[in-house]
This record gives sequence, C-alpha cells and structure tokens, in this order.
Amino acid sequence: MSTNGYKVIGSRPIRHDGVDKVTGRAKYGADVQLTGMLYGKVLRSPHPHAKLKGIDTSKAEALPGVKAIATAADLPQIADKIADLGEAVVNLRDSSNNVLAYGKVLYRGHAVAAVAATSRHIAAEALELIQVEYEPLPHVTSVLEAMKDDAPILHEDLKMTEMGEETDKVSNIANHFQHKQGDPEAGFTEADMVIEREFETATVHQGYIEPHNATAEWNEEGHLTLYTSTQGAFSVRDQLVEILQIPVSKVTVVPMEIGGGFGGKISVYLAPVAAVLSRKTGHPVQMTMDRDEVFIGSGPTAASYLKIKMGATNDGRITAATAYMAYEAGAYPGSPVGAGAGCILTPYRIPNVQIDGYDVCVNKPKSNAYRAPGATNAAFGSETVVDELAEALGIDPLEFRIKNGVTEGDRRPDGPEHPRIGCIETTEAAKSSAHYGASLEPSSDGKLRGRGVASGYWFNFNGGRSAISVSVNDDGSINMLEGSTDIGGSRASISMMLAETLGLSAKDINPRVVDTDAIGYTDATGGSRTTFATGYAAHATGKALICEMKKRLAQAWEVSADAIDFKDGLFSYKNDEEKRGTFKELSGKIGGTGGPLVAQISTQPDGSGGGAFATHIVDVEVDPETGKVDILRYTAVQDVGTAIHPSYVEGQLQGGVAQGVGWALNEEYIYNTDGGMTNSSFLDYRMPTSLDLPMIETILVEVPNVSHPYGVRGVGEVPIVPPPAAIANAIYRATGTRMYELPMSPPRLASQMAKNA
Amino acid sequence: MKKFAYIDATSVDTVPSLLGRRFGQAQVLAGGTDLVGELKEYIATPDRVVNLKSIPGLDYIRQEDDGLKIGPLTTLADIETSTLINDQYSVLQQAVSAIASPQIRNVGTIAGNICQRPRCWYYRSEDFDCLKNGGDTCYSVRGVNRYHAIIGGGPCYIVHPSDSAVALMSLNASVKIQGPRGPREEMLDDFFVLPELNIMRENGLRANEFVTEIIVPASKPNTKGIYVKVRERDAIDFAMASVAVTMTMSGNTCSEATVVLGGVAPVPWRVPDVEQFLQGKQITEDVASAAAEMALREADPMSDNSYKIEMTQNIVSQAILDLA
Repeated sequence: MSTNGYKVIGSRPIRHDGVDKVTGRAKYGADVQLTGMLYGKVLRSPHPHAKLKGIDTSKAEALPGVKAIATAADLPQIADKIADLGEAVVNLRDSSNNVLAYGKVLYRGHAVAAVAATSRHIAAEALELIQVEYEPLPHVTSVLEAMKDDAPILHEDLKMTEMGEETDKVSNIANHFQHKQGDPEAGFTEADMVIEREFETATVHQGYIEPHNATAEWNEEGHLTLYTSTQGAFSVRDQLVEILQIPVSKVTVVPMEIGGGFGGKISVYLAPVAAVLSRKTGHPVQMTMDRDEVFIGSGPTAASYLKIKMGATNDGRITAATAYMAYEAGAYPGSPVGAGAGCILTPYRIPNVQIDGYDVCVNKPKSNAYRAPGATNAAFGSETVVDELAEALGIDPLEFRIKNGVTEGDRRPDGPEHPRIGCIETTEAAKSSAHYGASLEPSSDGKLRGRGVASGYWFNFNGGRSAISVSVNDDGSINMLEGSTDIGGSRASISMMLAETLGLSAKDINPRVVDTDAIGYTDATGGSRTTFATGYAAHATGKALICEMKKRLAQAWEVSADAIDFKDGLFSYKNDEEKRGTFKELSGKIGGTGGPLVAQISTQPDGSGGGAFATHIVDVEVDPETGKVDILRYTAVQDVGTAIHPSYVEGQLQGGVAQGVGWALNEEYIYNTDGGMTNSSFLDYRMPTSLDLPMIETILVEVPNVSHPYGVRGVGEVPIVPPPAAIANAIYRATGTRMYELPMSPPRLASQMAKNA
Repeated sequence: MKKFAYIDATSVDTVPSLLGRRFGQAQVLAGGTDLVGELKEYIATPDRVVNLKSIPGLDYIRQEDDGLKIGPLTTLADIETSTLINDQYSVLQQAVSAIASPQIRNVGTIAGNICQRPRCWYYRSEDFDCLKNGGDTCYSVRGVNRYHAIIGGGPCYIVHPSDSAVALMSLNASVKIQGPRGPREEMLDDFFVLPELNIMRENGLRANEFVTEIIVPASKPNTKGIYVKVRERDAIDFAMASVAVTMTMSGNTCSEATVVLGGVAPVPWRVPDVEQFLQGKQITEDVASAAAEMALREADPMSDNSYKIEMTQNIVSQAILDLA
C-alpha cells in the first residue's frame, strides 16, 4: 500500500501480460501464421556507396518456389514529406528509398531487392541469383571526414540548411543549428577556470532481442492488413499510407507483442516490402530479419563528435559553456543531434551558453532513435567536463552540480522555461545516499577502484494523442482497449490509473492493445510518453465513467445526478443507506437504464510538465594488467514523478543503466576500411550479460508532474543518459586516466593507460 | 543453409567412410554449437552431415591406470562439474567453465571445442573471400585486427578459439583419432597446425578422420594448474588472451612447468623456452616477469593488437605467481 493516499497507485500488482510472456504463450511478430503464407528475404548491398546501374531478376524468378520479386520500381516514387514519428522526424521519400534503394545504395546492408518464396531457404537461394550491377563510389563513414569539403557526397540534391535557412551548398551536412543565450566569450572571461575537451562516441545499436518482422496480407479488395512488432501501430500505418500511396482506410495494422524497441521500432523496414510482395503474389508474406540484418539494415543510433568548453569561478559557479556537436545521421538526414543539443547542458543554470549542432550524412545505416536519443552521447562529453571542473576547483562533484542545478523558472539552453522539476532533489538524494556515503574499500589484489558520478536530462514527450475505449461488465470489471504498445509494463500502469480513478483494483481491468481499426489514433510508445499520456486518457475515461454512472444511478435511484456523490470509491446519495455502493457493486444494478456502460476518450495533453533528471553513482574496479573494467556497485537516482508501479519504474532505471553500461564499456559498430561492419553478431557486438552487471540499486525521488492528474513523469529514457560519463569519471578516479572515446573497452583502456604511464 | 544429407552414424568404425576423403564434403555433428552457425552462414556447405550422437558410449570421464580418458561427446558442462577433473585436473575445469555460457556448455562437447573453427570476423563473413575460405587475401592485415594473432600468424592471422585446448595442452594431453585404417594417437602439441602449413585447417585431422578420445596423463603429486582468461565480457566471449600454466613444486622451487598461451596465436601456443627457464627456479616476482617477457619474445603485433603483448605478459606472470 502506498503512502501517498492512493489505493492502487504505488502498489505492485502482477502485470496482466506477465504469465503469457513467461510461459511463452504471448504472440510476437514471427508467431503469425496465415493460410498460404509465403516468406520474404531481402537482398542487401555489399557496397557502402554505389550507383545502381541495373537489377536482373530473371534467374531468380525462374527458381521453382519463387513467387515474386520486388525492387524500388514497385514503390511509387514520392515527393519529400516530413513526418514526426514521435521520437524521430523522417522524410518519407527517404524512408521509401531506405526500404528499397532507388538509384543509389548508401550503405553496406542497404536493401536492394526482395524475394517472396514458398520457404525461407528458397527465398535465400533466390537472392544469390539476383544480378545487380553496381558502380562503386568513394564512401565516408566518419562524421568529421564527411564534413570536409572534399568528402564523397551522399545526396547531390541535399542543400545544407544553415541556421534555419536553406543554402545553395551541396554538403553531407544536412543541417547546422544554434542555441545561444548571453555572451559566452564574456562568460569565459569571467571564469577562473576553463576546460575544453573533445569526445568521440561510436555507432551503437538498441540491441532489442526480437528482430524486425512484418507479415502482410493484401487482399483482393485492396485492403492491407499488416501484423508487426512496433512501438506504434498508427505510426506504421502512417508510413505505409505514404510509402505505398494508398488510402488510410485501406490499411489495418495489428500490433503483436514487442520484444524490445528502445526507439528502433518506429521506422518501418520490412513492412512496405512485405506489403508489395503480398500485392504481387496474392498471398500473405512474412518477413523477418536475422541478427546480422538487424545490425546492418535497421537503425542504430548515431556516432558523434563533441567539443565542449566550460568555465567556472573559484567558488564553483558555471559562467559559460559552449558545445559543438556533430552527429552522424547515417544514410539520410535526421540524426538525434537536435535532441542531444536540447539536453546537453540542461541540468545546469548557465547564463552564457552556445550550442552548435550538425546533422551529417555518412555511409552507414540511417541512424534512429535510441532511448533518450542523442542525450547519452551529449552527457558523456558535458558530464566529463563538469567532473573535471569540479575536481580542478576542489569541489565535491555532486555539490558542484547542486550549486549549479536548475529549478522551476530557469531556462533550458534551447529556450523553454523549466516548470516544477526535480533536478536539485535528485542530486541531493544522490549526495545523501548510502552509496555515496559509503567509503570505497581498496582492492586486495592490486586492482584499481574508483567512484564516479554523472547527471542527465531527458525532455520527456508530455503530449501526443492517446485513446482509451472501455466497456463495463455486469460484475464491475472493465475491458479496456488501448493503442499504446506495451513495452515496459504500461498495460499494468494504465490499468492501475483507471482502477484508481474508479475505486477498483488493477485486476478488475482487462487491458488489450488493439489494432488501428479498433481504437482512436494513438501516438507511438516513445519519448517516455505512454504512462503519462495514455494514463492521462485512462484517468479521463474513468472520470467519464463516473459521470455516466451518476446519470444511470440517478435513473435507478430516481434522484438528480447532481446530488449523487462519488468519494473514496463510493457512490452515495445523501445519507441514504439504500442508495450507496462502489462502482463494482453498482455496475450490475443499472439494468434498464440504457444498456451497458461504455466510454471512449481521446486526449492530447499540451506537452507541459517538464523533463526527467537523473544522477548516477558508480564504483568500478579496473584491472591495470588488462584494462578490463568491472562494475562493483551502481546506484541510479531519478525524479520519477509519481511511481505508478514502482517495480516497473525500477525496472526502467535498471534497464537503462544496463544499456548505458554496454554503451560505455563494450558496444560499438567496428567498421572495416571497406565500409562494412565487421562485428554484426551478438558474439562480436558485446552487450553486457548478467555476469557483467551488479544488482543495480535505485532511488526513486517523487516530484509529481504538475501537468498530470496523478503526477506521472516519464521514466524510461533518462536512465541511459548518465552511465557512460559516470563510468568514465569512475575510471579516472581509479586509474588517473581520462577516457574521451567510447567504448572504454579493454583494448582502448589498456592502450590509453600504457600511453599515460 | 545449403541442403545436405543427414546421417546418423551407428559406430565409430563406419564414420570415416561416411565422411569421405574430400575436405568440406562432409561434417561431423556433435554438440552443433559451432557447426550450425557455420551452416546457416554458408561458411560450411557440406553434402553430408554425420551425426555422432547416435553412436552409443562416446560420453564418459574415466580415470584409468595411464591417466584420464574423456569421451569426445562429453559435454563441457559434465567436465565442468566432474569432481574427478576438479580434484586432479583443475586447470581443465577452470578453462572449461570459462567457455561461452551455461546453455552452450550444456550442449557443446569437448572434442567439438578442440576442433572448433576460428571466430575471425573475416572468415565468418560471407562477404570476405579470405584465405581460409579459399580466397587469396587475409583481410585482417589491412583491416581491423584488434583480436587477431600476435604470434605465429601469417599468411592468415586467426587466433585459435578453444579454451579447453590450451588447458589440455598444458596437461600434455593427446587425442585418439579414428581413420579409415583404424585408430591413431597424437599429442596435442602435434595436433594443431599453423596456417603456414595448412591454411584451410587448424589441426591435422584428415577429411575422413575424427577425434574419439582425449587422453590426459595421470596427474603428478605437488602439481597445480591455473587458467587465466581475459575477455571483454564475463560470459559468451572468446579470449583476448589466455594462459594455462601447470607447475610441479618442491618447496618454492619449480621442478617442472608447462606454459601454453591462448587467444594470441593460430594454435594453442606452447612456450618450451619458458618451461625450461622455470625448471629449477625459485619462483619470485622477478622470475615470473622474466618468464612472461620470454613468453612473448616472438610477438609481432599488427596495427591494432599490440595491447595484447603486455596483457598476455601480465597474465603469464600472474599465473606463475599464483601457483608458487
């Protein structure tokens, strides 16, 4: 039972989808089986950059079992159109060219053609028979190289946008923007200590365990039904409508369970291709990626280069900061540099600040969102410089952060004012935590130990559309339909908010994530919005049901609806003992008042409410003989607003940290000189295992979000932001070596320590 | 995966004829943890897969008068949990428990672990027609070679992936091999071959031969062994560098030692000079670091892997000191 006056919120009921998931009954995308189904496979470019001179599919078509082959010629060539998919903004023409290359291939792994056949093996065999004529072009796979004037150009028609204005300059730099407040030069003059550092981070992948999949059935009436694993069924529908140029009424997207997304399962890769193959064959077509394809043919997140300069006075006041941020967009414009620039210095009140962001095309897969997109790269740089400044000034690193921390009314470097947020509360909770107070015992066997801290910020998307549709059963239980993909326990948390509103228990709610025909438009699960926004709709739905129940009771009790009270879960009329009862008790007693109780609500909150702040503390042990870093203890402190289901909030923090640890220590796309990824398997792309992580401790700081009826603040993304910086700061405390490049893997750390020795 | 015929072998004697005389035509299947991946990636494209699990009695751990006998199909998990091996051949237990993950150790076999193919990412990619795949280039030379060989490489620079082979070699183990004309026995020291001798294979098995037993000489008194493995991740990872050392001690003097390096050469790399050097020495820090330096004397790193030299020296000296 929670201590905040709520009955359901703050408790930890078993999630509705839990048993099906742990017993293997839950249906994921690849579990879909349709009558007469064919299997599709994609042919991918072996070149990082080449002109497509011709594709000869005749031999493949002649292979028995092959039913159809698709190329970009089967997709309508569409005009530029920008779409906001929740966590990523995309140009739909680029999306089309990304799912099947048109004219040029822009990265190794770029889809060129696809085959539908009666079995996966025949489809794979047919790929070998497709003859593609390429004219290889010089390629570029690093952001700084790609920004040079003489770099190979990916898009001849891409004109650089400079400070909001399109220029005539053809460049791989799609966009340069700037946020500026005050006078940074004057601010640095005012400072007693100025530190400037450069950083590089590698391309990393979200690493969701379930590969991309799509099963399309395009029937004779021209209606397309698509079954897929996605963060947003409606986002998939939008993309299909645009890429295939078909009416929205002709598309139904059925969301299957999702085995992880982390931002990477909003853009479509296979869905339009499976649809085209289904249209051509008249059969349902299923496509699934293997792990190699997920690495080379989906959307990892951006590698980046940062240069960060900060100045502070001797008494520990930050006077100025500048950040130069160049992010790799991959094959098409649209890196998360904008989000990174909006988060990078946000935990601090800095009077003079300038941030320059560059979105740069390189011959790699189109980058995509990954949990707090852009903010982790950014914080690795800024939080290292903050740590160095605090050290140089002889101030405790958390004290330094508290001293400069933001509160309500302060401005973010990109402009907006903070509402009530929990930046200071979070940092203070970290400072007074048991972990920070405990001394770090030295190692007994010559290993080096150190403690690091770092903070992070993520906006949170407190908006977007969400719909809820409910029907009440006679026993007072409720069937609740929603359009939000449940990625981290949102069926439970949204049910809990409806239950709280009505005085029910979580198990009285039967939540269903339904297809795009069955519920109102709901934006993707992303930007940490779902518990906030769909929970917002659930609360509104509960209010509507209360109102409707009062009307029905007014009929049944023959009193005025206005005179009926609803308080502490009890409907009552004055002090009449006969005219009172809970929602549950009364649901079966309103027969004859107008049919079953139902409600449908659609909401779109205004986006206010502010973001999430986190401060992490980590103890590491470095083996000086091998450069291997072990995490001894990790504590994640975060303002989580109201923790609806604390276990799932803690799970989000722990999951974010686990991914952040991988990003910090091991994960990277290792590119060969020929522009290909050498390590496209989970064996060689090293994500941490359970043995690589300690139990991650969490401290939930609850500063309720004033823009939400239950104070919900998105929690899922900010926990990935501090880990690389916190670990880098800990490595420095352990070894005296500062690491300015990610990942800090044994080969790199060992080499760096040897250089410094 | 290319189509193949799947044959359940019924006895050891019949396997050589099922395999045939041409390399690549047939593959033996034991645990399958390596082979299935190779099949799926078209690295191995045999016409026949010969299942050994249908042969009864190839799964055992026995102490006999002349030493320890391990059946080829004994799972790594059975070795890891064997009291006999833990008590008397602990270096093998240590190495085996450092392999992959519990799930893989439950299925993977000891002979399969010794005979597994390299993990070089050029060899494992369909996109590179490398020396080991019948091409004419070792792509690691101009490519990304941070996990490649620093000793014994050329013209191909793979590192041998087996942990258990390193430990077994330090125990002077040998393998029994079945061929068309009956069984033969070979010391592990002679079993593995460098790329300069045979670019396509990592060991001396002929196309129609397979390993039928691992034989480890009886353990000597006052002898201890240690296996140290450096990997980036604490599970499901191959060695960046590893070392197996066994030492027979009288007091604090080493009377006999074996030292074998893993993860740094195309074969488990025994360093006889170091073994001789240690013989009769009192084990001190100076002796250990001299031994470590000697162990890497032949190292000739590539562009990205010189870090391995110091890393390997460090674990060699650490292993020696730990046993003293």
